[in-house]
Amino acid sequence: MSLTLFLQQLINGVSLGSLYALIAIGYTMVYGILRLINFAHGDLLMVAAYAAIYGVLLFSLPWFVSFPLAVIATGAIGILLDRAAYRPLRQAPRVSLLISAIGASFLMENLALVLIGGIPKPFPRPDFFGYVIKAGDLHILVLTIYSPVITLLLVLGLLYIVFKTRAGKAMRAASRDFEATRLMGINLDRIIALTFLLGSSLAAASGIMWAMKYPQINPFMGVIPGVKAFIAAVIGGIGNIVGAVFGGFLLGLCEILIVALLPNLAEYRDAFAFLLLIGVLLFRPTGIMGEPVIQ
Amino acid sequence: MEEDSNAVSSFFQMRHVTREFGGLKAVSDFSITLERGELTGLIGPNGAGKTTVFNMITGMLRPTAGDITWNGENITRLASHLITARGIARTFQNIKLFADMSVLENVMVSCHYSIESSFLTAMLGLPKHGREEKRIREHSMKYLEQAGLAPLAFEKAQNLPYGLQRKLEIARALATQPGMLLLDEPAAGMNPMEKMELAAFIRRIREKSEVTIFLIEHDMKFVMNICERIKVINYGQSIAEGTPDEIRSDPEVISAYLGGASHAQG
Amino acid sequence: MSKKLKFRLNVVSLVLLFGVLCLFSRYGSGYQVRILNNIAIFITLAVSYNFINGVCGLLHLGPNGFIAIGAYTSALLSMTPAEKEINFILEHAIWPIDVIQVPFVVSLVAAGVVAAFFAFLISFPVLRVRGDYLAIVTLGFGEVIRVLCNASQSVTNGPLGLKGLYPHTNLWWSWGVATLTVVVIQRLINSNYGLAMKAIREDETAARAMGVDPFRCLMVAFLISAFFSGIAGGLLAHLITTISPGLFTFFLTFNLLIMIVVGGLGSTTGAVIGAVLFAWGGEALRAVEQPMEIGPFTIPGIPGMRMVIFSLILMLVILFARKGIMGRSELSWNSLESKLAGWRRTRTP
Repeated sequence: MSLTLFLQQLINGVSLGSLYALIAIGYTMVYGILRLINFAHGDLLMVAAYAAIYGVLLFSLPWFVSFPLAVIATGAIGILLDRAAYRPLRQAPRVSLLISAIGASFLMENLALVLIGGIPKPFPRPDFFGYVIKAGDLHILVLTIYSPVITLLLVLGLLYIVFKTRAGKAMRAASRDFEATRLMGINLDRIIALTFLLGSSLAAASGIMWAMKYPQINPFMGVIPGVKAFIAAVIGGIGNIVGAVFGGFLLGLCEILIVALLPNLAEYRDAFAFLLLIGVLLFRPTGIMGEPVIQ
Repeated sequence: MEEDSNAVSSFFQMRHVTREFGGLKAVSDFSITLERGELTGLIGPNGAGKTTVFNMITGMLRPTAGDITWNGENITRLASHLITARGIARTFQNIKLFADMSVLENVMVSCHYSIESSFLTAMLGLPKHGREEKRIREHSMKYLEQAGLAPLAFEKAQNLPYGLQRKLEIARALATQPGMLLLDEPAAGMNPMEKMELAAFIRRIREKSEVTIFLIEHDMKFVMNICERIKVINYGQSIAEGTPDEIRSDPEVISAYLGGASHAQG
Repeated sequence: MSKKLKFRLNVVSLVLLFGVLCLFSRYGSGYQVRILNNIAIFITLAVSYNFINGVCGLLHLGPNGFIAIGAYTSALLSMTPAEKEINFILEHAIWPIDVIQVPFVVSLVAAGVVAAFFAFLISFPVLRVRGDYLAIVTLGFGEVIRVLCNASQSVTNGPLGLKGLYPHTNLWWSWGVATLTVVVIQRLINSNYGLAMKAIREDETAARAMGVDPFRCLMVAFLISAFFSGIAGGLLAHLITTISPGLFTFFLTFNLLIMIVVGGLGSTTGAVIGAVLFAWGGEALRAVEQPMEIGPFTIPGIPGMRMVIFSLILMLVILFARKGIMGRSELSWNSLESKLAGWRRTRTP
C-alpha cells in the first residue's frame, strides 16, 4: 500500500477516533458516578443531528447558530433522561437501572421513528466543512481535520472544568465515593445533572460532526457508534476521562487501519470492536488506563 | 518420637502469614497453631487485622507471604468453596444471609458441595434425586433444631430478629459439617441475654462434636468466659497468646488494647 | 397438599392442554394457530432466559446469539441438499452442510446441543466477570455471533438467509417443547442446585463460603439456558420458514427482557405470563399500526408505534412496579390451595 494511502487512512482513523472519543467521555463520566451504563447515550447523536437539521430547515437558522443550539438542546435532553429514567432508581438494584437505560434507548429510537419516519434524511453539510483539501494524491475533507481539533479543544475545556472548578471537584469526589460526597452536603442531583449535561453536549458535538461525515441520518444512526464508543470507554478504563479519549482514538485507528490493511475482513469490522472488548475484559478488566486488579 | 513442627497432629496451622495492600501490611508475620477441639479467641483493637486473618484462612484473600496448613494439606492458595469442602466454615462480621430465601433454604445451601446426584437427575426427577433432597432437608432441620430455629424454618431469613439471624449464620456454617468453625464477631449487637444464649449454644456445639472454634470478638467478658486460649493482635502483628488469665494481666495487651484504663465492654 | 393429588392435578392439566391443542389444530384458523405457536416458543425462550437472569442473577444480554445458532443449526440440518442448492446462490455451501439432512427432531436436538456447546466455549470468559461487565461481554458475544452469521456466506448463506424451510413446527412440537422446558427448568430451580444458584444471586461471597462453586453452578445454568434457547430457535425457524441474521439482533434480546421483567424477574410463572402477554399484546397492538375505522373517521396507522408502547411499558414497569407481576413467587398447586382456603375463610360468617 502506498504511503499516500496509508497517510490518508491514518488521518481518517484519527478523525473517526476523535468522534468516538467525544461519545466515550459521556459514557465514562456517567459510569464513574452512577455505575450505570447509559445505553441511551448513543441515541443522543441522533437527537443532535435531527435538532441541527430542523434548526436549519424549519427555522432557517444559519448553521453556526443551529449547531450550537442543537448541542444545548441535546444537553438538556440528557438531563431530562437522567431525571426521568435514572433518578427514580437511585436506590434500586443495578439490574433495574440497566433495564431502564435499555428501555429509554429503545423508546428514543422508536419515538423518533414514529415522529420523523425511518427514511434517511440528507444532512446539509456547510461548505465550511465540506471543502476538500488536495495535497498531491491526498484528498481530505477539511471536516476530517477539524474533527480531531474540535475534539481536542472540547476535551481540554472539559478537563479544565473537571480539574479546576469546584463543580468538577465535586464530580470527582462523587465518582470516588458517592455516599461520602452526599454526606458532605453536596447536592448530588445537581452534580449528576451537570455530568449528564457535559457528557451529552460532547456527544451532541460528535453527532453533528458524524452527520456531516456520513450525511444520511436516521433514527437508529446512534446505535453502532454508541456501542463502539462504549467499548472504547471500557478499553480505556471505565470511569477515566483520559482513558476514554485514548480508547476512542485507539478504536478509531484500529478500525480504519485493519480494514485498510485486510480488506477481505471488512465485513467483520463491527465484530472486531467486540472481540477487542472481550480481549481487554479478559486480560485487563479495568481497562488499559484503569488500575490493575489487586488480588 | 520426634517433635516435628510439621506434625499432622497440628490440626490447623498458620505460619508467618503476611498480607500487604500496596505497601501497607494489614497482617504481618502471623502464626498460630490450633489443635482439634480447641476454642481459641482472636482479639485486638478495631482495624488490627482480625477479619483479614479470617479472610485469608477461608480463601477470600491470598496471603502475600507465609502458608496455611489444614489436616496436613497446604490450603494457602485454595479457592473458598474448596476450603469449605475440606472442612473450614465461617460466619461473617456483617451478616451475609441469603436474605430472600427461607431459614431452612439458607441451611440447605450448605449441603450443596457434598451433593451426589447430578443436575441431570434433578432435571429428570429421578427417585435418586428425591431421596437425596429428603436427606438434605432432614439434615438441615437437625441443625435448625440444634439452634432453636426449627419453628421459623419457612420464614424469610431477612424477617428474623437480629439475634436469631446471627444464630442462623452459625447454624448454616455448622451444616457444612466443618472440622473448624470461624466465628467473626458472633455476639456483635446482642443484648446480655442473647449473649448468654449464644455462649450456651457454642458450649452445646462443642459437646456434640470435636469442632475446633476460632472466634473474633470485641466483648471481653464473652471472650474470657468461653475461650480456652486467646491470641491478641495489634496493627497486624501478634502481640500475645495464652490463657484468659495470662492475657488479662499481660501488660502489652493492656496498653495496646485496653489503653491503660479499662475500656472493656461489658 | 398430598403428592398424589398434585400428580393428578398435573395430569388433568396436561390433558386439558392436549384437548385445547387438539381443538385448535383441527378447527382453529391459521392466524390463531400461528399465535399459539408464537406463544409456546416465547414461553420456551422466556422461561430459559428468566432462569439465567432472574434465578441466577446474571444479566445476560446475548440470548439472541444462541437463538440464532439454534435456528441456523436446525435449518441447515433439516433442509434437503436440493433446497440448500437453491438457497446458496452466491457461494456453495461447504461440506458437510451441503449434503447432510436429518429428521426434524434430530435437527432440534442438534440445535440445542450446538447452542449449548457455544455457551460452553464462551462460559470461560463470561463467567469470569459479573454485573455490568458480564452484561457487556454477553452483549458482545450476541453481536459477534450475528456478525459471523452475516459474514459466513458458505455456512449460513450470509445476509441472504435461508428461505423455503419446511414448516415442521406445529402446535404439538411448540407446546411439547414449551411444557418440557417449564417442567425441567422448574425442577432444577426447586432442587438443591436451584438453591445454590439463588444463593449465588443473593450473596456470592457467602455462597462460596458455604461450599458452592459459582463457576460450575453458573455454567450448568448457562448451558441449559442456551440449550433450550437453541431448540426454540429451531422451532422458530421452522415456523416462519425464513431466517436471516437480521432476525437475531439485540432487539430480540430486548423483547425477551420485556417478557421476563413484566412477568417478574426470577419467577418461572412470571416468565410464562410475560411471554403470553407479549405475544398477545404484540398481536393486539398491531392494530395500532394499521389504519382504524371508527364510524365515519379513519385514523391512519402509525408504524413503529408498537415498539414505542412496548418501550413505555418496560420503562413504567421498571420505574414503578419493579417486581413485575409475580415478583419472585411462583404459582403452584400449594399456593392455589392456600389462596382458596383464604377465600373460604373470608366467606364463612
